[in-house]
Amino acid sequence: MSTIKLDPVTRLEGHLKVEVTLDANNAVASATVAGMLFRDFENMLLSRPPRDAAFLTQRICGVCPVPQAVASSKAVEKITGFKPNLQGLMLRNLIQGANFLDSGITHFYHLSLLDYIQGPQMSPWTGGYTQDLRFSAADTQTLTNHYLSALQIRRKANEMAAIFSGKLPHAANIVPGGVTALPSATEITNFRNYLNDIQSFISSTYQSDVNMLASAYSDYYNVGTGYGNLITFGVFDTNTSGGLLFPAGTVTGGTVGTFNEANIKEYNKYSYYSSPSGQAPASGTTTASYGKSGAYTWLKSPRYNNTPFEAGPLARVWVSGDYRNGVSVMDRHMARYVEMAKLVSNMQTWLDQLTPGASGFTNIGDPASGSASGLTEAPRGAIGHWLSVSSSKISKYQIITPTCWNASPMDDSGNPGPVEKALIGTQVADPAQPVELLRIVHSFDPCTGCSVHVMSPDGVEMSKFVVQPLGK
Amino acid sequence: MRINRRDFLKWSVAAVAALKLEMDMDKLNTVMAADTDPPVIWLLGSGCSGCSISTLNVTNPTTIEDVLQNKISMKYDSTLMAGAGENAMQALENAANQYNGQFILVIEGAIPGGASKNNCIIGEQNGVPLTMYDAVLKYGPKAKYVVAAGTCASFGGVAAAAPNSTGCVTVKSLLSGKTAKPVVNLAGCPVNATVMVQTLLDLILTGVPSLDSYSRPSKYFSTTVHSVCPRRETEEVSQPGIYGCYEEIGCKGPGNLSPCPSLKWNNRQGWCVQSNYPCIGCTSPAFPLNPVISVSSHD
Repeated sequence: MSTIKLDPVTRLEGHLKVEVTLDANNAVASATVAGMLFRDFENMLLSRPPRDAAFLTQRICGVCPVPQAVASSKAVEKITGFKPNLQGLMLRNLIQGANFLDSGITHFYHLSLLDYIQGPQMSPWTGGYTQDLRFSAADTQTLTNHYLSALQIRRKANEMAAIFSGKLPHAANIVPGGVTALPSATEITNFRNYLNDIQSFISSTYQSDVNMLASAYSDYYNVGTGYGNLITFGVFDTNTSGGLLFPAGTVTGGTVGTFNEANIKEYNKYSYYSSPSGQAPASGTTTASYGKSGAYTWLKSPRYNNTPFEAGPLARVWVSGDYRNGVSVMDRHMARYVEMAKLVSNMQTWLDQLTPGASGFTNIGDPASGSASGLTEAPRGAIGHWLSVSSSKISKYQIITPTCWNASPMDDSGNPGPVEKALIGTQVADPAQPVELLRIVHSFDPCTGCSVHVMSPDGVEMSKFVVQPLGK
Repeated sequence: MRINRRDFLKWSVAAVAALKLEMDMDKLNTVMAADTDPPVIWLLGSGCSGCSISTLNVTNPTTIEDVLQNKISMKYDSTLMAGAGENAMQALENAANQYNGQFILVIEGAIPGGASKNNCIIGEQNGVPLTMYDAVLKYGPKAKYVVAAGTCASFGGVAAAAPNSTGCVTVKSLLSGKTAKPVVNLAGCPVNATVMVQTLLDLILTGVPSLDSYSRPSKYFSTTVHSVCPRRETEEVSQPGIYGCYEEIGCKGPGNLSPCPSLKWNNRQGWCVQSNYPCIGCTSPAFPLNPVISVSSHD
């Protein structure tokens, strides 16, 4: 048995470590995936007004801030029994959709592609593995050119969102009550011009590139298959009565099932937390315990019906019926393309539904008390915020991010997390250049800024490390 | 793919002229004669990568594809680089040694000291985990310039928000007395892309810019949002989502030094007040207040 350690796994948000053991035939026998950053977001939210959470939770992830703001706003709105009007829902869809397009293009071209081609021979594109590169020099040059043009497209997706959101990363105005922008006819036209550019890139360049990848690496339809269980909370309101472009649901053995929030529990036997394991997110507590015996990560293990489920674009398009081929590295890439093509087309429809100058915001204030969940989807999968309020202040806040589903460690029953499971069995051609592992991990588009669970302050360390007094 | 020397020189002159700065020809010639683009090492600590993403969005003074191909040599950047694992960590170590005293160290995110610094590990060198805390102490003193990208790195920001159980500290406090030049704090949540990239070019061409008392470049942080806000003379309104001035509902614009109203965001497509929400003061050392915005917190 030999060991391969990848620390850090680059080209993702945050800090991720992957360690595998190989059997005598260089197949992965066991795998651990670990989040190496702990930020304690949920604790810093306590005693704040509920409306603060939309701003603070966006700062969990600069890659997909918008879904955090939406999940947080939905939780507050659910407590107050409020639902934004159609203008507010469409503005959220358009901003969140733009964030999806930006994230998807960034993922394919800038976070994944360098696992399949050698980029320009200058920093930061040198130093990658040269194992199993299959594209011709001409195709490599084409893809490299598209890597660079995609930098412009992902930037344009951010600019498009900023027309209605003020800025990205970290939108200024997605808050409980809706979105505060009052879109003018000029801004709507401006948004549409951007959308047309991006749609054109997706339907031409991205489509042909992802197909080229799938053709050259068709064996990757059989790599990184994992459990095959998929979960989505549903996203993108199509009307004010609950319709969703991508509905909530689960997939087991290829069959779509109904999603029931009550089936979610979080486990932490292998996480750096000493608090009770197996709690529902609304009632879970978390106490950090770095170095806990047997633990190896800051991520907990969310499970559905006590079973590991994979979140992401593949889950969404499988449940919606738009793509049902299989579960693998290449299916994840194809699903992301299929979803983005559908999304960008629907964004045209949502843009048509905006009324120039109309408000999509109602000033609902802060709820005095109550508990609710806010569920939506980030580009990389199901995201949930569980909020309790008392005396108009946050008394409990729990977050399950997509990467907690995917990059979770073993649960208390010893079931590996979805990425770990997807790594097991993989044949590594050259252990000195384990590009197969990177391809599998990147296909999940992990983002570990989300190691955010509540903890009790670590009194010992707190006394040693105090942030410089503000203003000094 | 590299720009040729003549074009770079032409561009550099234009950039310096646009800033109305004195051009240091000797300096520029030295940069050019080095036959390599100035090296940059970018480390991510307790942050969200938002400052990385914001920097990718840059359009002024130039776009990121131009910056990466022609203006700087990004030796280590965990978000973009091709290498992973040992390759990546070797690239970091090699760059710091090869360009000892010459590279620009950019630090994004605050630096956790909690759990004996183990709240953030950036990778392993020779099989030993390297904490962000130790990485900053290791590479900061070797850098020619150190830049704190964003409010977390500059002031703690959201990463160090109360109760700060991860023990986050700022770049400036950790490297106090350990760097040749003062740490440059590029506040903002995230850092504005123009502030980020222009400052890198300023450091390359003219050295450390004039800094305010919080180590922020004065040319970006000497004007309050309110003093140049296009809504300054408009009617004060009692809630967000309505066109008007938000001073009455706790807008942080009057006390917040920031280039937002002039530079705006995302290729000038918007900024917070333009989207009908008050300024939340994200370039301020006090950000984020609890509550983020309230009338009583307004001063």
